[in-house]
Amino acid sequence: MAGIVRRAVLGHMRAPVVQKSLSLHGSKKLLHNPIFFRSMSSHGDDHLTKQEVIDRVLSVIKDFPKVDPSKVTADVHFQKDLGLDSLDNVELVMALEEEFKLEIPDLEADKIDSCKVAIEYIYNHPMAG
Amino acid sequence: MSVAYLARRAAQKQKVRLLYRRALKDTLNWAVHRHLFYEDADELRKKFEANKDVEDLDTIDRMIATGEATYDKWRHPDPYIVPWAPGGTKFCRNPVPPAGIEIVYDYGREDNG
Repeated sequence: MAGIVRRAVLGHMRAPVVQKSLSLHGSKKLLHNPIFFRSMSSHGDDHLTKQEVIDRVLSVIKDFPKVDPSKVTADVHFQKDLGLDSLDNVELVMALEEEFKLEIPDLEADKIDSCKVAIEYIYNHPMAG
Repeated sequence: MSVAYLARRAAQKQKVRLLYRRALKDTLNWAVHRHLFYEDADELRKKFEANKDVEDLDTIDRMIATGEATYDKWRHPDPYIVPWAPGGTKFCRNPVPPAGIEIVYDYGREDNG
């Protein structure tokens, strides 16, 4: 916890700061803003937390036009539960690639069939942005 | 429905999925602006959907071959690849130094001092 706070603070502050004005309340706000959280990290340094991965994956799936957002949970299978086509599956994997700035090899991408597999793959990928 | 038929169909379905994926990425390479990409992606999808119900294995094989030929013809010469991936701009840029090498911080002090 302290490490995350420190990272967020160091990523945001540039000038020497008077210690008294640094409040935990202010730096906690930074944690919720995704832009400041990683403003000075080169790609691949920060690893995403599982919850962040889950949230972002679910938001991508919910924004997909052919999906009914109320049915989306962390366990859905794209073709069986959400009623998508195999081509829709391909499109969804591409959308996930764009969200996390990943390059998934073709054969691996073919295997991503459900939310759970997607979350596991992205979480274990070293370069997930 | 023999096993061989199903196996062939499954292989064809995988080929179609991979072809669709590559074609979609290529479409994104050519049509950089999102609104253009969405239109082109819709047209690509329609082309795939039009042949969705074909059952005959040989016709499907022929269609996949034509599709792949079209894809090869339209490949972008400078595709967008994520920087850290092979072919991207950051690939191998800062490789991890081999183990055992260390930097000696002597700040220019001479050894006989």
